[in-house]
Amino acid sequence: MTFLENKWFLVALVVLCWAISASFMSGYYYLQYNDLSAKIKGVIISANLGINYGNGSAVAWFNGTKIKAGATLFDLTKLLVPVNYTESSLGVSINAIGGVPNSPKWWMWWSWSSFGWNFGYIACDKYVVGENETLLWYYQDVLTYPPPPPS
Amino acid sequence: MNTFKIAIIATLAALSIVTNYMLIGVSNIKLMDFIVFVGGFCFGPFAGASIGILSWLVYGVLNPQGFAPLVWLSTMLAESIYGFVGGFLGKSIGSIDFHGQRLKLSIFFATVGFLPTVVYDLVTNIAYASTFNVPIVVAVFTGAPYTVLHELANSAIFGVCSVPIVVALGKIVWRQET
Repeated sequence: MTFLENKWFLVALVVLCWAISASFMSGYYYLQYNDLSAKIKGVIISANLGINYGNGSAVAWFNGTKIKAGATLFDLTKLLVPVNYTESSLGVSINAIGGVPNSPKWWMWWSWSSFGWNFGYIACDKYVVGENETLLWYYQDVLTYPPPPPS
Repeated sequence: MNTFKIAIIATLAALSIVTNYMLIGVSNIKLMDFIVFVGGFCFGPFAGASIGILSWLVYGVLNPQGFAPLVWLSTMLAESIYGFVGGFLGKSIGSIDFHGQRLKLSIFFATVGFLPTVVYDLVTNIAYASTFNVPIVVAVFTGAPYTVLHELANSAIFGVCSVPIVVALGKIVWRQET
C-alpha cells in the first residue's frame, strides 16, 4: 500500500490520535474545573487581619474573620475598617485606613509565613486571601524600599 | 457464506464474549474490539461486523452492569465498525508481505485501533446521554478518562497483536482455501 510507504502518513495518524486524546482530556478538565468552581462558590474561610497604626499602640487584630473564598485583602480590609482608596489600572491604591491617611507614613501590607513577615509587592485587591492566613497593614516609613518588616 | 466461515464467525464471537466476561472487572480494557477487527480483516467486513453484533447480542443482554436498550443497540452497531474497518483494511493490505515492515504495520494498526474506538465511544456516549437525559457534551467529556483509556488500550492491543494474529490466521485461511 502506497500510504504505508510514506512515513509522514504514519506520523500524521499518530499525531491525530494524540490530538484527539488531548482534546478529550482538556474537555474533561474544563468540565471538572467548572464543576469545582461552581461548588466552592460561597464557601466561607477564616483569615486574620492586623492593623498597626505605627504609633506604638497595640496592633488591632481581627482574628478569625469570615470571608468568602476568593476574596482579596482589599475585600477583607473594607469589611473591617473604613478605607479610603483610589482605583487605577494597576489596582487599588490605599489612601487611608481607619481615618489615618498616607502622610507622613504609608500603609504597607504584609503576610505572615513560617519565614516571618513577607512584604506585599502587589496591590491589595490583587492578593487573594488564603484559609487561616494572617495579614497585616502597617503604617510605616518608606524611606528605604522595601521597608523593614514589622517587629 | 460457507460452513467454514460460519464456524469461524461463531468461534470468534464466542471468544470475544468469553474474554469480555473474563475482563469484566477491568474497565474499558477488552479484547472484543480486537477480535472483531481481526475477524473482519481475515474474513471480510460482513463477517467482522457479524462477530461484533453477535458478541453484543449476548454480552449486552446478559450483562452484570445492567441493560439499557438504546445503549445496547448503539454498542451492537458501533462494535460492527471494527469489523467493517478490519474488512476493508484486509482487502487493502491483506495481500502484502508483512515481513520486514512489522514495526511500521504495528504503528499503523495501533492507530487503526485508536480511531474506530473514538467513533465507538462517541456513539455509545451519545446513546448513554439520550437514555439518561444527560447533555451530550457533558456525557462525552465527563467520561473522557475512560474514553482515552479505551482508546490507548485498544491502540496497544491492536499495535502489539495485529501482525502476529493476522499472519497466523492468514495461514489457517490459506490452508483451508488450498
